[in-house]
Amino acid sequence: MDFNDSAEEAAFRAEVRAWLQQNASDYTEPLALRQGDPRIAEMGRSWQKQKAKGGFAAISWPVEAGGRGASPIEEVIFAEEEGRYHVPVGPFVGIGINLAVPTIRAHGTPEQIEKFARPTLLGEILWCQLFSEPGAGSDLAAVRTRATRDGDDWLVNGQKVWTSWAHTADWGIMLARTDPEQAKHKGLSFFLVDMRSAGIDVRPIRSISGESEFNEVFLTDVRIPDSQRLGAVGDGWKVAMTTLMNERASAADQSQSLPDVESLLAALGEQGRAANTRQLASLYAREQGLKYFGLRQLTRLSQGGNPDPISVMSKLVYANLLQDVSALGLDALGLPGAFAGRENHEAKKFQYGYQWSAALRIAGGADEILRNQIAERVLGLPGEIRSDKGVPFSQLPVGR
Amino acid sequence: MNFDFSADQKELADHARRFLGESCTFDRLRDNMAGEEAYDRSLWQQMVELGWTAINIPEAQGGLGMGSLELCLLSEEVGRVLAPVPFFSTVCLGAHILNQLGQESLREQYLPPIAAGESVVAVALMPGLGQLEYADGCASGALGPVAWLGAADLLISRARDNHGTECLVLIDAKHATVARRNIDGVVLDGLVRHGQAEFSATPARLLASGDEARRLIELALAQAAILTAFEQLGGAQACCEMARDYSLERYTFGRVIGGYQAIKHKLADVQVEIELARSNAYYGAWALATDAAELARAAALARISATEAFTLAAEENLQVHGGIGYTWEANCHFYYQRARLLAINYGNADYWSQQLLAGLQAAH
Ligand SMILES: Cc1cc2nc3c(=O)[nH]c(=O)nc-3n(C[C@H](O)[C@H](O)[C@H](O)COP(=O)(O)OP(=O)(O)OC[C@H]3O[C@@H](n4cnc5c(N)ncnc54)[C@H](O)[C@@H]3O)c2cc1C
Repeated sequence: MDFNDSAEEAAFRAEVRAWLQQNASDYTEPLALRQGDPRIAEMGRSWQKQKAKGGFAAISWPVEAGGRGASPIEEVIFAEEEGRYHVPVGPFVGIGINLAVPTIRAHGTPEQIEKFARPTLLGEILWCQLFSEPGAGSDLAAVRTRATRDGDDWLVNGQKVWTSWAHTADWGIMLARTDPEQAKHKGLSFFLVDMRSAGIDVRPIRSISGESEFNEVFLTDVRIPDSQRLGAVGDGWKVAMTTLMNERASAADQSQSLPDVESLLAALGEQGRAANTRQLASLYAREQGLKYFGLRQLTRLSQGGNPDPISVMSKLVYANLLQDVSALGLDALGLPGAFAGRENHEAKKFQYGYQWSAALRIAGGADEILRNQIAERVLGLPGEIRSDKGVPFSQLPVGR
Repeated sequence: MNFDFSADQKELADHARRFLGESCTFDRLRDNMAGEEAYDRSLWQQMVELGWTAINIPEAQGGLGMGSLELCLLSEEVGRVLAPVPFFSTVCLGAHILNQLGQESLREQYLPPIAAGESVVAVALMPGLGQLEYADGCASGALGPVAWLGAADLLISRARDNHGTECLVLIDAKHATVARRNIDGVVLDGLVRHGQAEFSATPARLLASGDEARRLIELALAQAAILTAFEQLGGAQACCEMARDYSLERYTFGRVIGGYQAIKHKLADVQVEIELARSNAYYGAWALATDAAELARAAALARISATEAFTLAAEENLQVHGGIGYTWEANCHFYYQRARLLAINYGNADYWSQQLLAGLQAAH
């Protein structure tokens, strides 16, 4: 058991630090932009380009895929060091790097991989994820956006919702129904959608913070060439599972603009700390436990092991911890904290943390869904009783 | 970075798990509680033969010279089966404290009998459990409740000398001037026999005093916290498995209770708490093994997490069992009561929370 960097890891860390000092000097202060502002995505694009130039864009990908061929540990070292700056990283770039490209690499044709993987790595293509719909969230396989064959193309009609950064994306990964007479998991196919296609209408949705990070996407007779289908017709669910597995693995990323327990301790002051000692210690133990849990999982991956099914707990624990930490921080700061403006970064962290934690408990697998997964896949308890098995999708009941 | 135990260490743990799983059954626990002996002597003898009492003692003193990591793993296995033996006080604490002593003659005298399984040690370090006064080679006063005090060969205790200085003394617990008894009857956890004793001018060896005594006590408490955390982890994991197994056998309303979401989510939460606690405990193991500067923080983290995990696991295990869970025959109560005992022992959650926050504040 060795908790410190090995000699090679330390050398890599030093290299990264030096590179960041040279290249991240624009990002020593928090960005003064609202969530969802398209300028953030553009900054993200150039930061990604810069990372690619420095050889840090895809650290643990194989060299032939444009990566560095380094270990997952080095990937984390880079993220740790990068996290000291207020760099523009987030879903606007992350959906492409963490979700779209791994899915394309797993299921795509050589032409598809050629067309999308490297340009995404270079920040030339930003992606969004067109999965959820008004009637399909946790129950993702219930999507009803319809893709019908039309010669060499598909015609797509339907509505997607909660699509983060659709307003800045160049391309989207989409799950659509190609055969409603099959059972619901069977009639799906997976498509790569050019977001500039005719018939796509992206409309912002205001979130609880009043900002617009996500959108509704209406698709009306959108024409998609069959060459942009990923995987076989009817295999959409299998392809989407690759995306979801990657999403779970990257969902608990933490950011500079969110509060941690140290910032809570500072916000509380001596009196507040004394009055909440036990709860603070408990929150701190959760935060640190989560960090060391990540290192245990990383050790497993770096030794060639598969991801452990329990690893979905990272997002579950983090989202709830963030909510608790933020609530306690806001309580301590009182009305001055609740009404603090952008110039007050510390108070803003707690406001934003309280808002964002509510999203995080839902997005990328809601708490309840993750608990079901842990119960079933880790503890071997029975699956849910379901009434949709083997029933043609077109005959399933729908509610609101 | 390699945040895991080595293959050899895991093999040791596997072996310990198999051995204890076969030998330390729940029936044996019930027999032990009904019997006269304070601890399970034949199980203890088997552990001695396996070398467990020698594990952290240097080879020069008849030990195996292994490190804290092995001790962490054995503690987890002992905790999993609630082995009614004085492993924690003798090996995890007694041998550890003696090992730290500067005087070789003391180590030479007291460590070999521990390694050979001929000496059981009780340890009294926490304040508030009586007081010993030390003067001129003798100790007087009263102590208790202290684990295994009624059965131990040796006692290592905190004491005060006639200047009021903190010190650490070693006493032959069987000496004629020691009046001791086991505390029996209806107690929280009858498997860890606790004793009380009065000392009247009992011969005592001074191990350390003043700053050196405080340093040794602080180190021993960190060691106690981390090894207790592993013991708690073992117990918590056993509870989770027991509850899972029962939930797959018990039917209500035409289906197994393990299929109900209320039970599934409960057990998922238990498993999550265990993983968090395990992660903090591993950090503690690393800090112990490397004598890291972060030891105090690591000890508090390990302890706080493990107490939360074992408490939740033991309470929900009983709950999942329904009425049968409240009976003597079902085995939930062993863990339910042990979880509380370990939560109290060697500093409760308030104590470690204060330690943790004080440390964090000092770091700023
Ligand atoms: C900020 C944000 C960004 C997002 N970005 C994207 C994006 O970019 N692309 C995209 O495709 N989607 C995105 N989503 C959508 C997200 O994936 C869904 O919101 C999520 O899957 C939950 O689906 P739902 O909202 O339909 O809730 P529902 O599935 O309707 O769930 C409602 C409640 O019921 C519970 N529930 C549902 N089923 C069960 C069950 N079997 N057992 C117990 N409880 C159950 C849920 O846990 C939840 O509490 C985003 C969401 C948010 C909040």
